[in-house]
Amino acid sequence: MAHTAADPRPDEEDSELKRSITGRLLFFYTLGDVLGSGIYVLIGLVAAAVGGAFWIAFALGVSVAAITGAAYAELVTKYPQAAGASLYVNKAFGSRPLTFLVTVSFLAASMAASGSLAVGFASYFETLWSAPPALLVSLAFLALLVVVNFIGITESVWMNMVMTFVEVAGLLIVLVIGIVHIAEGNADFGVLTQIDTSGDFGSPALAVLAGISFSFFAMTGFENTANVAEETIDPHKAFPRSLVGGMIVAGLVYVLVSMAAALTVPPDTLAESDAALLEVVKAGILPFSTDLMTTLFSVIALIAITNTTLVTVVTQPRVLYGMAREDVVPGVFAKIHPTRRSPWVGLLFSGFVVGSLLVIGTLVTEAGGGIDLVGRLATVTVVLLLAIYALVIVTCLKLRGQDEHDRVFHASTPLLVLGLLGNLAILYFTVVDDPHSLIWCAGLLGVGLVLFLAEYFLGSKGTGSRTPDVEPHH
Amino acid sequence: MHVIVATDGSRQSLAAAKHLKSFADPTKITDVSVVAVIRPLASVAFADDLSEGEKWPAGSFREAAESAVAAIAAVFDGWGPKVHKRVRSGSAANEIIKAAKQYDAGLVVVAAGGRGLSDAVLIGSTAQRVQHYAPCPVLVVRPAPRKPRKR
Repeated sequence: MAHTAADPRPDEEDSELKRSITGRLLFFYTLGDVLGSGIYVLIGLVAAAVGGAFWIAFALGVSVAAITGAAYAELVTKYPQAAGASLYVNKAFGSRPLTFLVTVSFLAASMAASGSLAVGFASYFETLWSAPPALLVSLAFLALLVVVNFIGITESVWMNMVMTFVEVAGLLIVLVIGIVHIAEGNADFGVLTQIDTSGDFGSPALAVLAGISFSFFAMTGFENTANVAEETIDPHKAFPRSLVGGMIVAGLVYVLVSMAAALTVPPDTLAESDAALLEVVKAGILPFSTDLMTTLFSVIALIAITNTTLVTVVTQPRVLYGMAREDVVPGVFAKIHPTRRSPWVGLLFSGFVVGSLLVIGTLVTEAGGGIDLVGRLATVTVVLLLAIYALVIVTCLKLRGQDEHDRVFHASTPLLVLGLLGNLAILYFTVVDDPHSLIWCAGLLGVGLVLFLAEYFLGSKGTGSRTPDVEPHH
Repeated sequence: MHVIVATDGSRQSLAAAKHLKSFADPTKITDVSVVAVIRPLASVAFADDLSEGEKWPAGSFREAAESAVAAIAAVFDGWGPKVHKRVRSGSAANEIIKAAKQYDAGLVVVAAGGRGLSDAVLIGSTAQRVQHYAPCPVLVVRPAPRKPRKR
């Protein structure tokens, strides 16, 4: 973080330190980012692992995530910059290799998340139009988001808010179906306490832990709020409230939606479905045509997934850009398109890596690799993020007493310790349950290593600050 | 008259500022506000191509915006009008238009990208939107065609 203070900051009178992200926008940004990732995609896997009581997995998972969110809130109020976990780890340990590893892990997690979401997008899209092959749909979806990001229309915070409302509306439909079902007297509440111990996980505790592990992808995304830290008004107030508040609301929605789904559709049916929440809508409990409801719900799910994927697609080139400026990856990733002001090389590269993940994943699946691509990529994301989350909590505790000022939010220490243990327990289970996911993690981290070596052997110092060759006229 | 000179950190925005200075009469201009807009939700919220050799911390787009504004403001050093440095946050075109209204500007100076396909096809160019909705005259400074390109 070399900073030469040759440019004086504009003096107070002349500068308008006008920031644009209010606490309310931050709340919706968190909520939208968290809600889109997962519940539409993964609820079937969770139901399969736990049985009717799978809401417990969502409740516990979101609690661990919310505590981690509190650690982020503390660190953001100390260091309100866009770099997130990498910055905190660098402040706490000052070790370049560790910072690099964390940054690359975060990038890899984000890429795997994009992949998982793109596959999830394709499975909902299939209900609208089943002709094109799923791989083609997910690749086209990805390409579209890359183009949108290049043009730079991702900047609309209002669009983000509208998409979040749509997401919540989709989940409200599920809730309403659940309530109608209960009101009609058809609900068997016994199902909510059923934990399936007949499957792979012999004890109830293990089954629930498996459920938390599978559902955890639905809790991720909140870490991306660090992206807007610098532009948030009164971050010391907004972050604790909006980030943790957004997580709690998301958790509440998850628990209620899980209960509604379990009450209306047998967990076995949920478990077998690629687009599980659709089964709830298809159950025909509301007095509307099932076709209409299915179409409406699919569109809502597609919007929800798009909202979250967009944030991941925006994040990847940003991370690459930051690394290029630190001279740890080739300077070409710091290249900004002269008129569009987008990091177009980083964008294309991220799109290419995620696209390759989708192609390789599809090939492995078709070759009988016995993997569920959505689940596998989600697991890769979860493994990498859990390690980062655990480290962020450690960092938060280690940085206590350093860079303190009276506007720093403090998370409760016992809660942080509990959150750390929670993250580690889920991480341990996830790795033991699906050790092959580590191969995928290593493959993605390898991309970072290749970039580092390319810069180390081929790059020259300071490429990051080299400016594009555009000659002004006159 | 209050003139707003917008910068997105590009070389072209520096050319635009120099272009204004090349013909405008400084005695008719009371204030120049150099405005940069940070886009919080974009991949790179702000990039500064103007401060040669300078390195702002990779994590701070706000400092990138401040250094770009300072580089543009330096063009008008000693020219006459009072120079203000302003960094705003939000959607670029909206913020430039809002600034024009707020400061009761008599002219907005913006840079436009190439003349090529990307400007013709891709919607949402900042210069275009400012041109359409600004409350005052707008000077759009385009790059001079240098080499004939394939059509």
